[in-house]
Amino acid sequence: MRRAIGWVMMIFVATNLAYFLSWAYLDPKSNYVGRRPPLSNDQIEAMLEPRNLSDSVPLIERWWTWLTDILLHWNWGVSPVGDPVNDQIAYRMWVSAELVLGATIITTLLGIALGVYTASRQYKLADRIATGTSIITLNIPIVVAALGIVLLAIQFNDAVGTRVFYVTGSSSPGVTGFFPTLVDVAQHLILPTFALVLVGYAGIHFLQRSLLLDNINADYVRTARAKGLTKSQAIRRHALRTSLIPVTTQVAFSIPAIFTGAILTETIFGWNGMGRYFSETISTNDIHGAVAIAAFGALMTAIGAMLADVAVVILDPRVRVS
Amino acid sequence: MTTDMTSDQIAEQIADPELVDPMLHDDEDFRAPVGPTPKRTPRKRMSKFELYGRRFMRNKPAVGGAVIFVLIVLFAICGGWFAQYDYQELDFLAISDPPSAAHWFGTNDAGNDNYAQVVHGLQRSLLIALVVSIGTTVISAVIGASAAYFGGLYERIALLVIHFLMVVPTFLLLAMVSSDAGGDWIVIAIVLIAVNWFFPARTIWTLSLSLRERDYIAAARYIGISGPKIVLRHMLPNIGSLLIIQFTLGVVGAVQMETGLSFLGFGVKAPDVSLGSLIGTGASSITSSPWLFFFPAAALTLLTVSMALIADGLRDALDPTSAAGGRA
Repeated sequence: MRRAIGWVMMIFVATNLAYFLSWAYLDPKSNYVGRRPPLSNDQIEAMLEPRNLSDSVPLIERWWTWLTDILLHWNWGVSPVGDPVNDQIAYRMWVSAELVLGATIITTLLGIALGVYTASRQYKLADRIATGTSIITLNIPIVVAALGIVLLAIQFNDAVGTRVFYVTGSSSPGVTGFFPTLVDVAQHLILPTFALVLVGYAGIHFLQRSLLLDNINADYVRTARAKGLTKSQAIRRHALRTSLIPVTTQVAFSIPAIFTGAILTETIFGWNGMGRYFSETISTNDIHGAVAIAAFGALMTAIGAMLADVAVVILDPRVRVS
Repeated sequence: MTTDMTSDQIAEQIADPELVDPMLHDDEDFRAPVGPTPKRTPRKRMSKFELYGRRFMRNKPAVGGAVIFVLIVLFAICGGWFAQYDYQELDFLAISDPPSAAHWFGTNDAGNDNYAQVVHGLQRSLLIALVVSIGTTVISAVIGASAAYFGGLYERIALLVIHFLMVVPTFLLLAMVSSDAGGDWIVIAIVLIAVNWFFPARTIWTLSLSLRERDYIAAARYIGISGPKIVLRHMLPNIGSLLIIQFTLGVVGAVQMETGLSFLGFGVKAPDVSLGSLIGTGASSITSSPWLFFFPAAALTLLTVSMALIADGLRDALDPTSAAGGRA
């Protein structure tokens, strides 16, 4: 409980800091510079003032209006063109979640599975090949990986003659019915998920492999073997369980990083998720939107940290007892 | 200064490598600044760097990575000598041309020579990455180790700042500040250092906590060596191997962050180019002129992968007890 309050405080401070920093670096007024016909200063003021984005109002006053709106009405403000931030986040959150959740689950499972497989065959051919591949995929920049996948998919589509994979957007308009929607979603989802998994799984793979190697020769694993378990049983039931604890912590803490990683993926694949919203808010000087994303990111970090605590409690009986 | 040197040497004599926990295995680093190692046995000893070199050479992928990295650096430095065009020069007779004898890597839709641009972008990305990685390593090492050594209020404040920075969405700040800077690479490098130092600082702090309790630190303290000096001369050399590995991995991380920012249009901006902004332009015309994507992407991938292979080899060479096979 005290932890939760601490996190709420952290999020509060981080969000407010983001607000002031956004005002220091973003200027909504500059959106109107160079308009044809040119707008007078008063006209710009008249547009920005009701949106609480005018810099003629003192910063403290703007901040107070913004803060009380959030605390009392859960209203995160509007963009310079009057678009409510709440609506944007509510929609885009799910678009991102669709991409990020699936990718995270696949990344984690694949990473752990490969880690266990290679650790139990250390320095054999399969281990060498898998670790060699992983060290390369881990260090392919996500931009290169995603664009490479786009190129391959386009060539594949050309070769087959129909559009099997879509390289832009999260869904096609006008698809109805359960199964057609399912197929449509899959066609859009496969490529970006593949890109995220490709660059992400290796980190978990290496971590799981090295942790399992630390445990695989421990006394309790030998005891388990002596009691008659096969090698794979002993690894799965005894060694793996101990070495899973740091891995889950790592996965939980990487949740915010996955969201930032999705910025590039979403931009390349044209998904209107949180990541793309992030780059849009900055390039359109949308202060309220940028701050909302900062708050969202802080919230994700807090959730990740708390999930890590929960996972440790589930996996580690020593923590549960004390 | 010279009087302090002698007291340092005494401290180092006390911290005899034989007495140090064998798991710590960097007694060699610890002795490094003293100069020539005193001959203790008549038989010829292998020098430290010879040993490291041999261990590194044993790791074939790491050697391959080192060769690729040297070639890339040579290409970044010397590639400009062979370029027939400047990276900003426009050739209006060759717009969106595929690779040819005149333009080795083709041209973009404005008539820029892609070869000259890739060379320049590679220089820019490498420079940013090196500056960021050096800065990050130095700052995180000093803050992490000194927080562990001095403890007390200083440690608590340092940890509070580190934990707070973990919550702050640093990528957002990074994008805003560097976008505002208008593409000046020095500003981008400074901001990247500012958002990158705290994670390694926490790792170094954790490691230094156990280092602080060692006998040679206590000995140095009793001799009367000042706190900052103990941190710099006695604690940091003992995690030297970790710092070197962190530096190489930091280069990979910095290159990836910089290219990501530039790709989105928040980093290096025209007329300056980096690999990220080149890939960004290549992405928009990826089907019609894929060479604009291929060449910078290949340079970038070779750079990051070779650096990671080097880091892996260095880990094996400097830290043979480590079981970690990758970034953990």
